[in-house]
Amino acid sequence: MPAETMIECENLTKRFGHFTAVDHVSLKVAKGSIFGFLGPNGSGKSTVIRMLCGILEPTEGSARIGGFDSTRQTDEIKNLIGYMSQKFSLYDELTVHENLRFYGRLYGLRGSALAKRRDELVGLTHIEPYMNRRAALLSGGWRQRLAMACALMHHPTVLFLDEPTAGIDPVARRELWDLLFEFSSSGMTLFVTTHYMDEAERCTHVGYIHMSRLVVCGQPDELKTLPVVNPPGTKRLEVTCEHTTQALQTMRHLAGVRTATIFGQSMHLLVDAPLPDQRIVDELKRAGVSHVEIHPMGPSLEDVFVALTTQKNGGDK
Amino acid sequence: MKLPFRGYNAILYKEFLVVLRDPLTLFFMFVPPLIQLIAFGFALDTDVKNLSMVVLDEDRTVESRQMVDRFVNTGTFKVKGEVHSPEELARAIREGKAYVGLDIPPGFTRDLHAGHTARIQVVIDGSNSTIASSALNTSLGITFRQSVLQLLNATSGQDIPVEVRPQILYNPAMRSPNFFVPGVIGLVLQIATVFATAMSLVRERERGTLEQLLVSPLSRWGLMLGKLTPYLIISVLMAVGLFVAMRWIFHVPIAGSVGALMVAVVFYVFALLSLGLLISTRAQNQMQALQMSMLFILPSVFFSGFIFPRETMPWIFYAIGACLPATYFIELMRAIILRGASLAEFWQNIVILAGMGVALFALCALQFKRRIS
Repeated sequence: MPAETMIECENLTKRFGHFTAVDHVSLKVAKGSIFGFLGPNGSGKSTVIRMLCGILEPTEGSARIGGFDSTRQTDEIKNLIGYMSQKFSLYDELTVHENLRFYGRLYGLRGSALAKRRDELVGLTHIEPYMNRRAALLSGGWRQRLAMACALMHHPTVLFLDEPTAGIDPVARRELWDLLFEFSSSGMTLFVTTHYMDEAERCTHVGYIHMSRLVVCGQPDELKTLPVVNPPGTKRLEVTCEHTTQALQTMRHLAGVRTATIFGQSMHLLVDAPLPDQRIVDELKRAGVSHVEIHPMGPSLEDVFVALTTQKNGGDK
Repeated sequence: MKLPFRGYNAILYKEFLVVLRDPLTLFFMFVPPLIQLIAFGFALDTDVKNLSMVVLDEDRTVESRQMVDRFVNTGTFKVKGEVHSPEELARAIREGKAYVGLDIPPGFTRDLHAGHTARIQVVIDGSNSTIASSALNTSLGITFRQSVLQLLNATSGQDIPVEVRPQILYNPAMRSPNFFVPGVIGLVLQIATVFATAMSLVRERERGTLEQLLVSPLSRWGLMLGKLTPYLIISVLMAVGLFVAMRWIFHVPIAGSVGALMVAVVFYVFALLSLGLLISTRAQNQMQALQMSMLFILPSVFFSGFIFPRETMPWIFYAIGACLPATYFIELMRAIILRGASLAEFWQNIVILAGMGVALFALCALQFKRRIS
C-alpha cells in the first residue's frame, strides 16, 4: 500500500557561515500521514521546515512538495502548503475575524467563497465567541487555533506546524490533536514539530533530529523494535514503589541494571535479562523502600531516542 | 497566471487596520512633525534686530548723541547701556552683555567741524558670524551715508549722485520664516515618512508575520505597494496640517496654487516612503532601520539648501545635495509658496522627484527577497 509521497527531501543541508544547521537530512512523508518531527531546541527543526516551504534556500540538497521543487517551483508550492510558524504569527491589532479575512484575501479568496471558508473554520475551531476580539487579547490556546484557522483558509493539502502546542494548556493541546487526526483522515498531510513525547507517540511517522542530523525516521512501532533500543539479553521493567528518588539511587548501584529513569511515581529500568525481579525487591527493601510492584514493559519513543542519541554520541567519540 | 500585484488588496486592508488601530503610529506620524515645524520655525530666525549695544560717549556733544541715534534708528541696534571706559566696553562684549560697542572718542565734534576725519570705533563680537556681518554692514552704511551727506553739504548742496531704490520681491519684509518654514516642511515630512515605512517591514520581520507572508503567494510588488499606500495617504494629510500651521502660525502667505503644492507633496512623499521601504528590506531590526534612516536624513539637513545655499558648497556636497529628494522638494516649495511659481515652470523638479520615486520603489521591490536569510 505505498501511498503517494507528498513531502520528500534529499540530503537537505543548510550552513550559516561555518555553522551547519541542517546536515544532509533525507526523508519522505506519504500523503495523509502525520509526521512528527522531534529534536531539542536549535537542532534544526524549523530550518528544515523553512527549506521545505521554499522560504529558505538550502545550501545543498533538494526538497519537493507534491512533486514540485521547493526552490524552483515556489509559486506552485505556495498554494499547496499551509504553514503555522512557531510564534503563531498573527496581527495583534486585528480582530479574529479580520485576521481570517486577511489571510483569506492573501490567497485570493473573496466574497462568498471567503465567508463560507471562514465559517467552516470557525465551526471547526469553535472560535465563534471571540470573533470580534483583537488577536493580542487572546489566550495562548485561542491564538494557536486562530493561527491554525488562518493557515487553513486556502485549503492546503500539506500543513506544516512548527511547535503548535508549545506553551498551551493540556485541554487545548488534546483538542488540537483531535483536529489534526481529523485533517489527516480527510487526506491532508501534516508535518508537526514538537518536544512532547506523548505527541510523538500519536504520529503515524516520526523523525528525530539531533545536532543537525536526522538520527532516525520511521513508524513509532518499528522504531521500538530496533536492536539498539532492545539490546540482546536485556529486558525493560516498570517498577512502582515508594520514595522513587531513594530507589533510583539504589537501582543505579545494583549490578545488572543498565539504566534507571524516574517517570512520576515509577521507575523505568533496563536490566540484564537474567536479573530476577525478586533481587530488585530485596535490594529496595534493604534500602528501606517498600510496596514494590514490578511489571515488564516495552520501550517508549523516548527510550528509542535516548538509545539512538547515546549510540550516536558514543560513535562520535 | 502571475499577477504582478497579487495580494495588494489584502495587504492594503491589513495595513490600514494596523495603522489606524495603533494610536502610537498615528501619534508619531502627526505630532512630532508639527512640534518640529513649530520649534524649527521659531528657532531658525536670522532676522538681525535689536542687537544689544553699549555706548562709550567720550565726546558728549549734540553731534555725538545724533550719531548714537542714527545707529538706533536702523532698528539693528538697541542701546543696552552706557559705559565709561574702553576696558568696560571690552568687558561688556566679552561677558556677552552686548554684541556691539560704539566708542565715540573725545574731539569727534571738533574734528567733524574742522574738516578732519572724525573717527568713531565700532567693536563687534565676531563669534556669531551672521550677527557680526550684519552689524558691520549696518555700521558701515550709517557712517558712509553720513560722510557723503556731509561732503555734499560742504561743497554745493547738490543732491546725492546715485541712490539705490531697492525693491525686494516675494518676501518684502525679508522675514526669515518665509524662507525657512517651507524648507522645514520638506525636512519634517522626510523624517516622519522615512521612519514610518522603514519600521513597517522590520516590525513584521521581528514579529514573525513576515515569514507567514513569505509562504503565501503574495507578490513583492503587491506587498510593497500595499504597505506604501496607507502611509501615502496619511503623509498627504500630515502635509496639509503642516501647511495650515505654516499659513496661520507663521503667517507665511502661499503665493502659488495649493493644488501645485499637493502634487509636489505626493511625488516627494512617494519617493521618501519608497526609500523607507528600501531601508526595511535591508534592516534586520528596528534599531538598524533607525540608524539607516538617520544616514539619509542627516545629509538633507545640510546639503539640501535648507539652510545654506548650495551654490557656495564644495562640489562634493553639491553633488550629495543633488541626490537628495529634499533638495528638489524644498526648491519647489519655495518657488510655489513664495514666488507663486507654477509646476510647469519647475517641471524638472517634478520629473526628478517622480524618477527618484519610481527608481526607489522598483529597487525596494527587487531588493526584497521572497526568502528569509
